[in-house]
Amino acid sequence: MADAPIVNAQTIPTARRAAKRTFMARLLIAVTVLFLTAFVVLPILNVFSEALSNGVGAYVSTFYAPALNPDAKPTMYERMKLSAERDRVERTWSSIRLSCIVAAIVVPLNILFGLAAAWAITKFRFKGRVLLVSLIDLPFSISPVIAGLIFVLLFGRGGIFGTWATNLQWPDPTSLTWQGFAGHWWPLAFARTYEGIIFTPLAIVLATIFVTFPFVARSLIPLMDVQGTEEELAALSLGASGWRTFRTVTLANIKWGLLYGAILCTARTFGEFGAVSVVSGHIDINDTMPLRIEKLWDDYDMQAAFSVATLLAGLAILTLVIQSIVEWKTNRTQAAESRELEVKSDEHRSAEDQQILRLLPGAQGREP
Amino acid sequence: MRRISKFYGSSQALKDVSLKVESGELVALLGPSGSGKTTLLRIIAGIEDADPGSGKVLFDDIDVSSTEVGKRRIGFVFQHYALFKQMSVFENIAFGLRSKPRRERPSNAAIRAKVEELLTLVQLQNFARRYPNQLSGGQRQRVALARALAVEPQVLLLDEPFGALDATVRRELRRWLRKLHDTIKVTTIFVTHDQEEALEVADRIAVMNAGKIEQFASPEEVYERPANPFVFRFLGNYNLFHARHDGGPHRHDEPENATPVTFVRPHDVEILRENPDGSAIAAKVTHIGFAGAAVNVELLRHDDQQPIDAELTNQAYRDLGLKQDDEVFIRLRNSHSFYEDYAI
Amino acid sequence: MARVTRVIPGLPLTLGYALFYLSLLVLLPLAALVIKTTQLSWSELIATIVDPVVVAAFRLTLGASIIAAAVNGVFGLIVAWVLVREPFLGRRFFDALIDFPFALPTAVAGITFSALYLKDGWIGGFGDHLVAAANFLAAHAGHPNLLLPGALSGLDFPFSNTNTGIVIVLIFVGLPFVVRTVQPVLQEWDTEFEQAAHSLGANGWTTFRRVVFPEIFPAWLSGVALAFARAIGEYGSVIFIASNIPGKSQIVPLQIVIKLDEFQTSQATAMGVVLLVIALLVLLAINGIEFWSRRRQRAVA
Repeated sequence: MADAPIVNAQTIPTARRAAKRTFMARLLIAVTVLFLTAFVVLPILNVFSEALSNGVGAYVSTFYAPALNPDAKPTMYERMKLSAERDRVERTWSSIRLSCIVAAIVVPLNILFGLAAAWAITKFRFKGRVLLVSLIDLPFSISPVIAGLIFVLLFGRGGIFGTWATNLQWPDPTSLTWQGFAGHWWPLAFARTYEGIIFTPLAIVLATIFVTFPFVARSLIPLMDVQGTEEELAALSLGASGWRTFRTVTLANIKWGLLYGAILCTARTFGEFGAVSVVSGHIDINDTMPLRIEKLWDDYDMQAAFSVATLLAGLAILTLVIQSIVEWKTNRTQAAESRELEVKSDEHRSAEDQQILRLLPGAQGREP
Repeated sequence: MRRISKFYGSSQALKDVSLKVESGELVALLGPSGSGKTTLLRIIAGIEDADPGSGKVLFDDIDVSSTEVGKRRIGFVFQHYALFKQMSVFENIAFGLRSKPRRERPSNAAIRAKVEELLTLVQLQNFARRYPNQLSGGQRQRVALARALAVEPQVLLLDEPFGALDATVRRELRRWLRKLHDTIKVTTIFVTHDQEEALEVADRIAVMNAGKIEQFASPEEVYERPANPFVFRFLGNYNLFHARHDGGPHRHDEPENATPVTFVRPHDVEILRENPDGSAIAAKVTHIGFAGAAVNVELLRHDDQQPIDAELTNQAYRDLGLKQDDEVFIRLRNSHSFYEDYAI
Repeated sequence: MARVTRVIPGLPLTLGYALFYLSLLVLLPLAALVIKTTQLSWSELIATIVDPVVVAAFRLTLGASIIAAAVNGVFGLIVAWVLVREPFLGRRFFDALIDFPFALPTAVAGITFSALYLKDGWIGGFGDHLVAAANFLAAHAGHPNLLLPGALSGLDFPFSNTNTGIVIVLIFVGLPFVVRTVQPVLQEWDTEFEQAAHSLGANGWTTFRRVVFPEIFPAWLSGVALAFARAIGEYGSVIFIASNIPGKSQIVPLQIVIKLDEFQTSQATAMGVVLLVIALLVLLAINGIEFWSRRRQRAVA
């Protein structure tokens, strides 16, 4: 019931303005629609159009190649063609697997970091708080190529820890295999070991973390700052432990922002190109999905490049959909609250808090 | 007999505050904003720490200064209630019980019974499944109260309990809180900046100013016998009379640079048509404001041209038949004189 | 306030973890850059920077970034204005699209823009597509070959493999910055000021120039600066659309990657440091703008 006047108050001037819209306004709307269509809508549609340009069969063939059927008595040419196709598909899947592994390591770590940093920054006052926020923002102003470069300088040949890092041998955890007890007292073994850090998946993980760690923290800090500490204090005063307070009160309040931050972080993890490209050494087994796209593109296999790109574009679209849902949810609860409660206004916020909110604008964790 | 005593050393917001609350009492901490009343309440709760080593909070003569907020057995109601947005009313009230360590935690049935009982107490039986944003301000306030009471606190602490409500709901809830306290008899301390609220609800009032307790007494005493000018000023409207040293001998017990100041409440100003014994002061009516049950009359003294406010009952006003610009005499029924630093 | 928060648990744990994570994964690698830079000699640094290929790369990167930031400054302002002030069908849809450049991987942006602006792409061959469409319709109406092929080639925009293409992807990449910094300021802006200006007889343009723009100028400028800072570091999307000819169409990040591939780490470091310093100077300038505008606001208040 209380909604009615609010909704009216917003829609009436809107309707009135629409009725007597000037020529200038129409022109500006046209410019906006054209600009956004040319720069956003067409490119995204083009990804799917190019991927399907040779038909659904060609799209599928990027991800699936049939096994060689010896009964059909294939010619030499057919054998080679099929083998090349299978190789192409296998390399694409290998890049998808690697991207998923990297995301499975990076995203949880970044979520943990985001929660910890947001908790420390929004629930406490300590020296260097603003500095910490600036640090979290730093990777945004650093070129992804430089993000890759610094890891080369750290672990590469001639790097700060170069000697140690290039001689480092470490087992590939994904190559864990069952070797039985014959001749071994321990039945599990790693089939593969890596040498060094640069040009291995470990460097890809490190570079990706550097580029993507701010996303969860950035989407949580403004949200938790606006919510303040009263609910947590109430829970503590009722005898709840710190962990229970966090779990039942804080987490419940930030779940949508956390989801958005995690999805954005995932999308950026899958999509990171520059930093990963530098540390991957252009070795096929180090290809993540964007690197695979680059190789397909360089092989003039545009259709396949776009087919892989549809997966990443789909993830980006999912991110925007979730962002819209989150915004809608938070706006709704905020509207419900501000109807009856005076929301903590800027005057009541300390100068420091205002500075932090300026650094990380948007209560919904919206970028930039 | 349960007692809570608090002693503090100096801190930024509070200066050597000491307060002793009897068990079962309903005490108001009254003061203007910035007087330290909320800080005091939060220190009692354990939400804020007093400066290390500077003072103690005792419940029943047991020092709880270093006890964590969750173990102090206090119930704290926040100014904006701080209800858990993501939980239903039922879950909000049950939260404290569910947070107990497993050994002390009541069974689900017991929790349900306790919550039902509390919901009945705060007259919200049918709201258990609602969420905080589906409640009115007054209903939220009552849920917050029920949530605080669920853990059977030794002390109930309320921060500006009626601050966020509109005037009519506020008056209703005030009476209701008083009645509730008479039923459950839990020691209660609440913070307010509204003197009317403190006078109406509390057993005793601690008037605070600039981190100090100026007076701690019953409402009648605080109002009728204010300890100092601050308390007098804060508890209602007043007229000021600066005594003039018109040739009289200067008394040596008077503080230097100080003049006695006399405070009189507007309703203690009596308006007379005649000057029976020559002691009344001649004045002129400059404005008459009709305020319902009372009539506010503004007067101007003839001798020193100082304005004076008087508050008459409707009856008295009609009996006098006052009109603007009438020449009258005034007499003070009840006045308080203080030596006040002239700088104030 | 400092004492309130002592009650909430977890500061040592959360702050400790956050600092540990930051130090290990961010500060340590950045320190490596600083250390490696100090190990460079001046002559090495100068020699790297004055190499004509590198000079050309910096010129291209900075020039394209400035143009892209300027275009975003104009169009971003229009887009922000329309999204806040002119409700139209699909506004919410377009509003959500603004963040797309953030979510879309740069490699995907690179290949799709490159394909769009190829000769047979949707925009690269726009005029030809129009001719084909017109002829198709005309054929149904009994006028085959109404237009000659290439009749509308003026509407073709084959920018792939040109430096214009670089500017175009940099516009895409910087699109959200201006819009998202100006939008909140416009939203908070009270239309009463404009109505007052209108009532005093000012026309729309004067009102915008004299009343609205000064108010949003600081936010707008920092949005443009952010778009610029993002553009100079951009790598993924640019290399797909650029022709990448040394000395002509190679951007600085690509130069860094090439030097790394050739194991000329110190030259890569030198270029990286210059690029980083430019970005940090821009950030510093943004902070300066913020500071200046807040002081101005305080002076007004």
